[in-house]
Amino acid sequence: MTTVSLGRFLLKRAVQGVFVIWGVVTVVFLLRFITPGDPVTFIAPLDASQELRRRIAAELGLNRPIYVQYLDYLAGLLQGDMGYSYISNTEASARVFARLPATVELAVAATVVAVALSIPLGVVSATRRHEPVDYGATLFSLVGISTPNFWLGIMLVLLLAVQFGLFPTSQRGTGFLPAVAGTVGQFDPGLVVRLAVELRGEALLAYLGKLPLVTWLAHITLPAVTLGTYFTALITRLTRSGMLDELGKSYIRASRAKGLPESLVRYKHALRNTLAPVITVVGLQLGTLIGGAVITEAVFAWPGLGTELIRAINLRDWPLIQGSLIVIGAGFVVVNTLVDALQAYLDPRVVAD
Amino acid sequence: MPEEDSSLNRRSFVKLAGGAAASVALAGCGGDGGDTPTDAGGEDGGDGMGDGDDTPTPTATETDDSMGDGTDTETATDEPDMGFPVTITQGQPPSTLDPHNHRETPTDSVVLHAYEGVLTREPTGEVVEKLATGFERVEPGLVRFEVREDVRFHNGDDLTPRDIAYSINRIVDGDVGIESPQNDQLAGVTGASVVDGERAVEVESDGLNPVVFSLFASYCDVMQRSWVQADDTEPATETNGTGPFQLSSYEEGVEVVMERFEDYWREPADVTELTFLAAGEPGTRVNQLLEGETDVIVNVQPQEISRLSDADNARVAAEASTRIIYNGMRYDVEPFSDPDFRRAMNYAVDLDSIIENVLQTFGDPTGQPTLEGFVGHNPDVDPYEHDPARAEELVSESGFEGAELELHTPNGRYLRDFEIAQAVVEQVDSLSNVSCEINQRDFGSLAGELTDGDITTSPPLYLIGWGNSTFDASQTVIPLLTSDGAVSSYSNEEVDSMMEQAQNEGDREERESILQELNATLHDQAPWIFLNRQYSVYGASNRVEWTPRADERIDAYAMSPAE
Amino acid sequence: MVDLDWLLHPVASGALSRLREALRLSPRTVRNLRTEFRRSALAKLGVGLIVCALLVAAFAPALAPHNPTNQNLNDNQLPPLGFDRQTTNTTSKMVNGSIEIVNETSWVNSTGEHPLGTDSLGRDMLSRTIYGARTSLIVGVIGTGIAALFGVTVGLLAGYYSGRIDDALMRSADVMLAFPSLVLAVALVGLIGTASVRVPDPFVRAGLTPNMPETFTLPGTVIIVVGLVNWVWFARVARSEALSVRSEEYIKAARAVGASDRHIVTRHVLPNSITPIIVLATIQVAAIILLESALAFLGFSGTTLSWGFDIAQGRQYLSSSWWIATIPGVAIVLTVVGINLVGDWLRDALDPGIEGEGGGP
Repeated sequence: MTTVSLGRFLLKRAVQGVFVIWGVVTVVFLLRFITPGDPVTFIAPLDASQELRRRIAAELGLNRPIYVQYLDYLAGLLQGDMGYSYISNTEASARVFARLPATVELAVAATVVAVALSIPLGVVSATRRHEPVDYGATLFSLVGISTPNFWLGIMLVLLLAVQFGLFPTSQRGTGFLPAVAGTVGQFDPGLVVRLAVELRGEALLAYLGKLPLVTWLAHITLPAVTLGTYFTALITRLTRSGMLDELGKSYIRASRAKGLPESLVRYKHALRNTLAPVITVVGLQLGTLIGGAVITEAVFAWPGLGTELIRAINLRDWPLIQGSLIVIGAGFVVVNTLVDALQAYLDPRVVAD
Repeated sequence: MPEEDSSLNRRSFVKLAGGAAASVALAGCGGDGGDTPTDAGGEDGGDGMGDGDDTPTPTATETDDSMGDGTDTETATDEPDMGFPVTITQGQPPSTLDPHNHRETPTDSVVLHAYEGVLTREPTGEVVEKLATGFERVEPGLVRFEVREDVRFHNGDDLTPRDIAYSINRIVDGDVGIESPQNDQLAGVTGASVVDGERAVEVESDGLNPVVFSLFASYCDVMQRSWVQADDTEPATETNGTGPFQLSSYEEGVEVVMERFEDYWREPADVTELTFLAAGEPGTRVNQLLEGETDVIVNVQPQEISRLSDADNARVAAEASTRIIYNGMRYDVEPFSDPDFRRAMNYAVDLDSIIENVLQTFGDPTGQPTLEGFVGHNPDVDPYEHDPARAEELVSESGFEGAELELHTPNGRYLRDFEIAQAVVEQVDSLSNVSCEINQRDFGSLAGELTDGDITTSPPLYLIGWGNSTFDASQTVIPLLTSDGAVSSYSNEEVDSMMEQAQNEGDREERESILQELNATLHDQAPWIFLNRQYSVYGASNRVEWTPRADERIDAYAMSPAE
Repeated sequence: MVDLDWLLHPVASGALSRLREALRLSPRTVRNLRTEFRRSALAKLGVGLIVCALLVAAFAPALAPHNPTNQNLNDNQLPPLGFDRQTTNTTSKMVNGSIEIVNETSWVNSTGEHPLGTDSLGRDMLSRTIYGARTSLIVGVIGTGIAALFGVTVGLLAGYYSGRIDDALMRSADVMLAFPSLVLAVALVGLIGTASVRVPDPFVRAGLTPNMPETFTLPGTVIIVVGLVNWVWFARVARSEALSVRSEEYIKAARAVGASDRHIVTRHVLPNSITPIIVLATIQVAAIILLESALAFLGFSGTTLSWGFDIAQGRQYLSSSWWIATIPGVAIVLTVVGINLVGDWLRDALDPGIEGEGGGP
């Protein structure tokens, strides 16, 4: 593979991505015209006259021909303008982007949980086939891909929060970055050492528990585990079967015969070749991750894009509905393109296709 | 970009739309009931969960320097005197800080600490003076308020009669300031003006307006005219009232922090700092209270109550609210056009069992639209009995045997609303000659259909709640049960004329007896399936001395440290 | 010119019978299936679970001890057998015009009447769980059918004609893929509204189970929407199969003797793509069951007899009655595990070369 062909491949994918995003915008825009209900009904004052209703429709530009509204909407989007939210006195884009970090944080945390647990588990499971750890991993991944994550979240709340009071049941606390900044600002190593030396365990725990970063971690743990379990299970499964495949191949036997160390054989060669198809599937499943985030947010009252979308749908706040859907759709396309790029980098054959 | 010649610029429209949406989101149904985010899209679903809702109660280290004196020690651990800070956690954050541009109880709870009206109510409902020192009816349709002296706004300026007249006009007159969604709360009031040369304000109404003092005791917060009109004022995010607390910081959707106003015209409050948080999920609020992160929480669910009863640092406090839960039946569609059928529905429902088992006794049965203790309540009218046999008989007499009904209900708006609705549906469905199903609706869209002024867009049968903090029958009957009512499902000439008669009757006793007769008629005509009077169930920390009020207001001025 | 006129006759008419033919799988395939089944305990477990679920769903009125919608308010929140518990019952009492709170501690005993306890309105959890299987499986199977019908048609068209049609169809599939199926389903059901269809229950009609609900409510909008948001997976698989066979000799031969496009696609291309489609359909039933439960959980459903609905209800009672949310979830997990095991069995036996596609929870 040459750098040029990789570059061309990425450029092609980027152009495709732009077209798909355009399609996403178009579909989202048309949604308003194919679903029942007049937006004005939802926003007009209760005793609004027909005249006021007309003025509202005119003010929002809803009385113009569809194609004019469409072009206007596209032009607005290019300037980052998604219109004004009907239900709050703010720009839809401001609301959407205010909620996005919470969702991204949740998705990233879930991915971190999933990757950190699943790949080692899959590898161990494959290399110790038919041992208890393999059966355990297989059972876990089977149940993991079969469990509705909202129910899993509720069960975690039931066990860990309600029964033992270990974690908060909902909401986000501060975001990650403010939590880090807050912790750095107030952390007092001297006090920690002092408490530790004096063996005041309870006071030490109380102090540590109040640190913003710990609070952040406490809030995100259950949602991240809830959202991450499906992916942990899925990737474990894929890694295991991929590793089994690779380990059975002739080049592995050849490497072993050459006397290469087993760890090198396993982790350098077999695992590397296993990862490419795993990444493909994970890329395809990104949508599931985002969809799962929506419902996880609902379970944990996590103030993200999903919560905002459901609320907007219920109130028919079209600028917010459109804005949230477009950001979700476009976000998926962008991330998916990046996954493609990563895959192309790991496995040059992709480019040739 | 909006057209230049548009009479509404974008900003004013958005304000208007915002206010309108707020009024829709309320539909006179005031604040939130038991707001479980089960449907996740529920009205509390989004905004109630701003970041940082779990922020611990501010300790001295975090207070604003304006608090100043005596609270400047370094850590919270060895802090001897940090005043008496109180935190209140509601289901939703306030939608604005502009007291005239919303219609929600959670917003009221916040802004009423900064702003005050000319009159107010004792917790028992009795009307008393606040910024007025006297009130009298000058002639039919004209009332007069004497304005209190020595009252200062938070910015240091003195209260003038002009401010009061301006505030009234800002609500009732679309051309003054904003198009307020509260104009129907001052129903009948057409305008106010300063009495020349005197420290008094006169308020004009259309017609007699017998309830005008009741209205002013519940509504109309006084703002300072010059402050509102100043170019750099943002009433949605800043406050300047005469109330016992002034704003110290506001993070929209997350947190409102207020401090005691030392220059208050009464004794300064015991509470030194007042923080409002929001947590949409009931269980979270209980946890926050048990953890000592907050002092007062709203809407404790029946199944969570025992957690509080068992706790040693907190308690349950309940009060019958001014909200009635009912099932509206549209009089203009079959089978509800028939009074017999409507009565049958009331006989079908086992209200006592619903209150005992679904509401765990946190509610009272009703049999008329006017609640006990309100002007016009008829003490001789009892709730309908549970009598399925009689119900079936009435259904066959009405000729609508085999009717198929569908009850539209919100989920999580009122205390156990969805369970109540399911119980009603099952009890009606178990009649041999009627079938009934449930339709779970989002509150916003259901309220939108009910409040759009067009009865034909309302579902034929729906569950909704109505709060009436004027303690007068008229503010329930007029909007909900007269032909021209904003949210009406009913039309009956007799009811209309009795109501009209009552509104033009100056004699209080005479008026009350008309209203009682009206309530007896409404019981008999059964325009609703009468359900329960809702209780407000709060959780309160034992460090705070406080009792709840019927009108759902949480008054921090009435709080003191527990001994 | 491409011949598109066969599109006007939905695949349903002619192709269904062909599909049956195609399902008469080759002897080798059948042998593989049998060997794999014998070899794998998990496959047996999966088939067992699914057969159970199907029987429960089909004979729900006969199996349920109570009418699942009947409330008994006095018996609300009874625990399952073996979970008798002590509770604090807090009530309010009006004393001299003010409300006082009264606490009483009492034992709540489970009863054989309600082996899995009752919910907050005194409905029998066992019966609700049994009826919930109906909703889940019907939505799963019909939803998958809709997705397959639509997706396979699009995919075969795209793969067979390739070129511009392929580009257009596949780009629209890309746009669809950009929306997570749950997000799209929530948006569509939320915006369109939940319509439902009431189907008379044959058992009750025949007078066998007079106390059971006379009709069964199918969540109509949900069924259609879950089908429509999942067609893309079928389109992708069908397309790649069609692409791979379109240049085969026998297709060329068929074309040479003047067979119509419609004939070739339904007679030759479709049958050759059937194996991966079957495997995918199996996985999709599981995905759609999970999707339906999520929609019902969020309040976007047309029926109250759904596992997801019960979980949403029970969630509010976690601190007092854990079983209301727990039991329906276990039912979902068992059903979906069963389907996934069968999917694994089919995949291992048929080796269709697809891996891990389909939606998740």
